[in-house]
Amino acid sequence: MGVHDVVERLAEAGPQGLAFRQSAPLTLGVELELQLVNMRDCDLTRAASDLLEITERKPHAGEIKPEITESMIEISTSVQSRHGPLVAELREIRAALLAAADKLNVLVAGGGAHPFQRWSDRQIYDKPRFRHISELYGYLAKQFTIFGQHIHVGCPHGDDAMYLLHAMSRYVPHFIALAASSPHYQGVDTAFDSSRLNSVFAFPLSGRAPCVLRWDDFNTYFDRMRRAGIVESMKDFYWDIRPKPEYGTIEIRVCDTPLTVEKAAALAVYAQALARYLLVERPHAPHEDAYLPYNYNRFQACRFGLEGEIIDPHTYAKRSLAEDVQLTLRAVAVHARELEAEEGIAMISAMVRGEGNDARWMREAYAATQSLPDLVYRQAARWRGTPG
Amino acid sequence: MGAAARAALQQRKGDAMHDLFFLPDWPLEITQFPWFAVLVLLAVAAGEAVQRYARLPRPIGWIVAGMLLGPYGLGVFGTEMLGRFSGLLDIAIGIVLFELGQRVDLGWLRRNPWLLGTSVLEAALSFAAVYGVLMLAQPSALLAAVAAAIGMATSPAISLVLTKELRAQGQVTERILLLTTLNCIYAVIVVSMLFAWLNAEYRGGWLTVVSHPLYLVFGSIALAGAFAALAHGALRLLGRRVDAQYITVLALIVIAVAAASLLKLSVVLSMLAFGMMTRHFDRQRRFVSLEFGRLGQIFMVLLFALIAARIDLALVPAGLAAGAALIVARYAGKVLGVIALGRWSGLGTRKSALVGLGLMPMAGLAVMLVHETASAFPEFGPQLLTVIVAAVAILEILGPLLVQFALVRAGESHGRA
Repeated sequence: MGVHDVVERLAEAGPQGLAFRQSAPLTLGVELELQLVNMRDCDLTRAASDLLEITERKPHAGEIKPEITESMIEISTSVQSRHGPLVAELREIRAALLAAADKLNVLVAGGGAHPFQRWSDRQIYDKPRFRHISELYGYLAKQFTIFGQHIHVGCPHGDDAMYLLHAMSRYVPHFIALAASSPHYQGVDTAFDSSRLNSVFAFPLSGRAPCVLRWDDFNTYFDRMRRAGIVESMKDFYWDIRPKPEYGTIEIRVCDTPLTVEKAAALAVYAQALARYLLVERPHAPHEDAYLPYNYNRFQACRFGLEGEIIDPHTYAKRSLAEDVQLTLRAVAVHARELEAEEGIAMISAMVRGEGNDARWMREAYAATQSLPDLVYRQAARWRGTPG
Repeated sequence: MGAAARAALQQRKGDAMHDLFFLPDWPLEITQFPWFAVLVLLAVAAGEAVQRYARLPRPIGWIVAGMLLGPYGLGVFGTEMLGRFSGLLDIAIGIVLFELGQRVDLGWLRRNPWLLGTSVLEAALSFAAVYGVLMLAQPSALLAAVAAAIGMATSPAISLVLTKELRAQGQVTERILLLTTLNCIYAVIVVSMLFAWLNAEYRGGWLTVVSHPLYLVFGSIALAGAFAALAHGALRLLGRRVDAQYITVLALIVIAVAAASLLKLSVVLSMLAFGMMTRHFDRQRRFVSLEFGRLGQIFMVLLFALIAARIDLALVPAGLAAGAALIVARYAGKVLGVIALGRWSGLGTRKSALVGLGLMPMAGLAVMLVHETASAFPEFGPQLLTVIVAAVAILEILGPLLVQFALVRAGESHGRA
């Protein structure tokens, strides 16, 4: 749930439908939702508005914005096209955020969900849209205190965006498994690598976008949904990947927020390299049939992470996600080189060659001390970039 | 009826008495009766009543109950009986101070040194303001200084209990608690220094001027360090099991309070430092954040009621005007002190002002220090006593309201008190 109200209102569908703003192909934007926890017991705390008051005083890289509850904050980068500057900008934003957080004695941490918070303790950030969501969805809104990474990939045209969205859907399990960092929820090990996505599933308009391949057809669909009174704006769709016409991008929304900015950047350039591969080589024409194993694969990725077994939608071959990512890395290698993304891709490669995802790190960290507060403390140290 | 028959009847009656051996002797032997439970009962009822019907924080009910039932009110509980509760009172004080101490993060002061500046400034300005007002009423500069030093301290119990009742979270909450801890420490140290000074003035001996505060500060820190080490040793054995930690820490608190009094150290300094050190040296984060929960709640009710019962209400009317002036001056000092460095410490003026308001409560600590001063130095005089007691009486009632107002206006309360 990005919060770009002004842009949103400007781009709200007029009589001629949603206009897809052109943007330079394969540009990137990264949004990260982060946890704000107190130093004492590492529970989520109410700090967003006080943090923003400090960060807004002087200019800083990127953007730092409120999210639905006072215990969340969202950072987003400007439009980037290369891995190096993307990491640099993320680090700068992190520095600005941490400087403010230190003043307030608040810790900032990555991770897709807070491991032991009680959702009923959360306070909704005071802003009309958040109050509306809170009234509409009731306890779901507060349970939505979960933390994701959104990756925007620029598309030159609405039709390209729809093609890329559906072609990319094949790789949604990759992003889920690589980014998974929410094994604990409400104080227990959920057995899932990403428990966060189960919370998203509770929303009526979650899941995948309908298989329409042209922007005009998508507009027709959106218009019908709107006339039926089901949605008011694009924001009402909580799809895994959704078009963002006012930015001229598609937005991948299945990633848990990783524990470091470096991993966030790596995931972003993996998406970028994949997008280049899909747009240039066009390996498969998107088709509804390719969605047959979609929910199965998605579950495997959430539950088992990189050890999950997914079904290839075209050949029905079964292989582990780690293997499937390795195959994909081979296919996109030349594109990664072209995009100067090797450094980020190397991180992805290390993960599937034995290092594992953040969920694994979190389980190991918890096993060492048996303390969830201690786990959060280490997550915060990791986010800061100091050894935890 | 013959004498023999009468005797036989008597005998049977006696047997009957014997059959009812399980009935208590009359008149009832009531010295063992747990009157404190009655006090808790009535105070809790008053707390619920003010919450339900007046939407006021519960602690106000506990305080009013204590004032009304105590020796200076209706006299249901006399001074002698209240004295018998002093053991419970000590435990309650120990719990509050320890809990407050372990909430405070010394690392925060290092990461944000402006907060330390704020704390010193806030205490210094409120000292100066109160001193100024009292000098109008009191010729002895030293005695006025003692009273002003007492005025630096915020009630630890009221700020802690109110933030918990309101389930408050956020900067205003955290800063009220941090500044409260620090200004209590300053108050105890400055009062002890002034005490020593007074001793020198009245009874000679400059050695005490230097050595007494040093003994209090370093003695209390050493004691706290020893208990913190004990606590950590116990935690290493017990692990993170909350129940075991709870019982252990509670027992250590009770012993530490007794040890501090025995060694004539400051209970306030010792217990705050005990809490702070237990948290600060907990490198493995073994120490779960302790909330003394339901049992703690009983002690809090007792604490509020018993402290309120010790306020001599007869002094209030005479000291009302001067007490009010003292409160205004103290408020000005505290608010200015917090606002002045607010921006640099990372909090806007509006919220800084709310923090200043949240530092207003005065209660147990002030009452104790005043009693101590008055009994040690009869020169303290009725005039000064009257002003301070009136101010404390007003702030006992007003304080919880101000804290509630501050936390609600800051948007940090969650649910109602």
